[in-house]
Amino acid sequence: MSASSEAATLTQPVVEDAAADEIWRPDARGWAARIAVLALIFGGLAYLLASVSQTWANLIAQAAIYAIIGLSLNVVLGYTGQVSLGHHGFVGLSAFVSAGLVSEQGQTFWVGMAAAVLVGAATAGLLGLVALRIKGLYLALITLTFGYVAANSIFEIPALTRGGQGMPAPRPEGFTTNRAYAVLCIGMLALAIFVDWRIVRSKVGRGILAVKQSEAVAASYAVNVTFYKAFAFILSGAFAGLAGSLFAHRVGVVVANNFRFENALLWVLMVVVGGLGRRTGVVIASAFFALFSSLISEITPLRDFIIETLNREPDYFTLVIGSLLALEVIIFAPGGLGGRLSPLTTWLGGARFSMHPDGGGGHHEKEKSGPGRRERLMSRLGLERSATAPAEAEDPEPEAEPAGSVDSDGSDSSEGSDASDEEEKTE
Amino acid sequence: MRTGIVTGVIVAVIAAILLAGQGDLTGPAPFVILGLTNGAIFGLVALGLVLVYKGTRVFNFAQGEFGTWAAFFAFMVMRDDGVGGVGLPYWAAVIVALFGALLLGLAFERIVARPLLNAPRVTVLVATIATALLFIGLQIVFFEIEPENLRGVFTSDNAGILSTKRIFNLNIDPQRQVAIVVLLAFGVLLAYFFSRTDLGLAVLATSQDAFATRVVGIGVERMSRFIWGGAALLGGIAALIYVPLAGLLIPGVMTSNILIPAFTGAVVGGMNSLPGAFLGGITIGVVQSVSLWAVGHYHIGERAIVEVIPASEQISILLVLLVILLARPAGLLGQEA
Repeated sequence: MSASSEAATLTQPVVEDAAADEIWRPDARGWAARIAVLALIFGGLAYLLASVSQTWANLIAQAAIYAIIGLSLNVVLGYTGQVSLGHHGFVGLSAFVSAGLVSEQGQTFWVGMAAAVLVGAATAGLLGLVALRIKGLYLALITLTFGYVAANSIFEIPALTRGGQGMPAPRPEGFTTNRAYAVLCIGMLALAIFVDWRIVRSKVGRGILAVKQSEAVAASYAVNVTFYKAFAFILSGAFAGLAGSLFAHRVGVVVANNFRFENALLWVLMVVVGGLGRRTGVVIASAFFALFSSLISEITPLRDFIIETLNREPDYFTLVIGSLLALEVIIFAPGGLGGRLSPLTTWLGGARFSMHPDGGGGHHEKEKSGPGRRERLMSRLGLERSATAPAEAEDPEPEAEPAGSVDSDGSDSSEGSDASDEEEKTE
Repeated sequence: MRTGIVTGVIVAVIAAILLAGQGDLTGPAPFVILGLTNGAIFGLVALGLVLVYKGTRVFNFAQGEFGTWAAFFAFMVMRDDGVGGVGLPYWAAVIVALFGALLLGLAFERIVARPLLNAPRVTVLVATIATALLFIGLQIVFFEIEPENLRGVFTSDNAGILSTKRIFNLNIDPQRQVAIVVLLAFGVLLAYFFSRTDLGLAVLATSQDAFATRVVGIGVERMSRFIWGGAALLGGIAALIYVPLAGLLIPGVMTSNILIPAFTGAVVGGMNSLPGAFLGGITIGVVQSVSLWAVGHYHIGERAIVEVIPASEQISILLVLLVILLARPAGLLGQEA
């Protein structure tokens, strides 16, 4: 960002924003309709979980775990704008800690899970401290080599991980069946979503988003850049730890091969497909990535074609389809799945229905909007744009504005659209 | 000036180890030779990474996979066993493979890089990751997963004096000698290109300020095509040298075996310095194999096989990277932070 755009921010604070953004609330019938749709969605999911086979229940547990991993990466990638390619390191480390505590130290599952969360947070915090000094793309390399070392070296030390035979990780009492364990995983996912939502809405969350916009502007508004960057990493690590623990006890035996470099790359892609900083999209996309190969195996002609004609495992098609989806999102629709769902999620959150609640999230719509509307959208949405859409060389304001409005506490403008959608729900 | 000093120090250290360990097969000398040649391959891939970084300010995670494709192309057109393939001679296959890699690079530029010309760098980085994974997935779908062997430049009957000559009292695989020569050639060629030719300067200008470059009449798209095509070619050459050495042609081999050390080499040398990529790659190769010798479990000769630290060569990479990024983020020869 250029110096001139920062200067522009300082001299033109967003004052009209609060007025333009006056919050509209649906009436009782409107709320009833929204609650009915929500009940239909969640009821459908609950029915699905209750009626599927135990094999599929196990897959649903995996989908929930992937969703937690997606949320974890979303904190780093979506909220702070950094790339972490070492998440398989965090997840794997906490998986081994959790499994080891339960099967070697005789602790309960819950102790193992708590320890895994702490270990994940501590490891990520340590790497985050490095991140304070190293910026942008170089950080991606540090996390990459960390994950590489963890997967190839630490996880291979037999004294720590029992090498190739793996570390047994029994499930907790009461959650030994696949279906019960899936319920546990979904519960933990709900907890993670709740924590994520509350933190993004808090002062800390606004701080993190401000730092992402522009460290210089944030610092000049007395936002503690160091603290918020480290905090984002610790939060991400805690989620990764939770996911690691659930992962370990889902498969029953943890081996180093569960956590490979390719996994970390695929996890990054699933967050991109879900939409950076868009919680709903990330959760759905992650679940899709987890289930994809099993889903295509359910379609008999497709499975026959892949297994008999091509003589390949359906797993590999997750790589192809996943990366194609990610490229499609990056090039054509920077809002990702979350952006495409935003008409629905915004409406459910208690706003008016609109096909473009946040300007569409892509670069195609922005020309259509008039100047006034565009200004307003920019300030509300600047975050998403600068994260995913091409930065506009002629028009630096969208990047600068939200950061400038961080201190005007009443307005939503410092948050991404997803975050502000959620905000409207509660106020 | 600094280039000279750094080069001198690295060369001196390597030469000292080699001369001290001459003839001692249990000492570090064989490992240093191994490291030098591995380092040459890291250096070749690092040259491609630096080319892209200089031109577009992006870390190109697809660099390794351009190479793996080239290796698969070469394998497919060379094989002649009734299953498939054309049965072309080696050098024809090399040309076909490099042409294929070049086309892939240009296709990547047109489909992915150009629409993202003005996107944030992190976005382009994620796009290269997606491309690398797509390439690996497609290789798995199109080719067999069983490891294959790719022929090198020399076979046992045409290597001639290269295979019998002893350097530092050691036999060195002819293919490894090829790696060092090719790296040297490309290092000099690219350094000349970026400092002395109009096209090279235009590429550099594009990376500094695309808009201003366009204003003075340089086609940014043309530069972008040149950069990605060139990077893909370099990746292809590196793979055609490395894959026969490793004796392992599997999907994603260049990404899983070479990309991370090459990145580290490029960063150690300075992401925007071509001599740096060259030296960084060599340094990483030597550090890796010396650490293997010191604490790893691949001891040969009379020393017993001891398993001290698994994958010590990978830990050494992380340590070198951390030290460099914390102490001198611009790298040994880099010009900017």
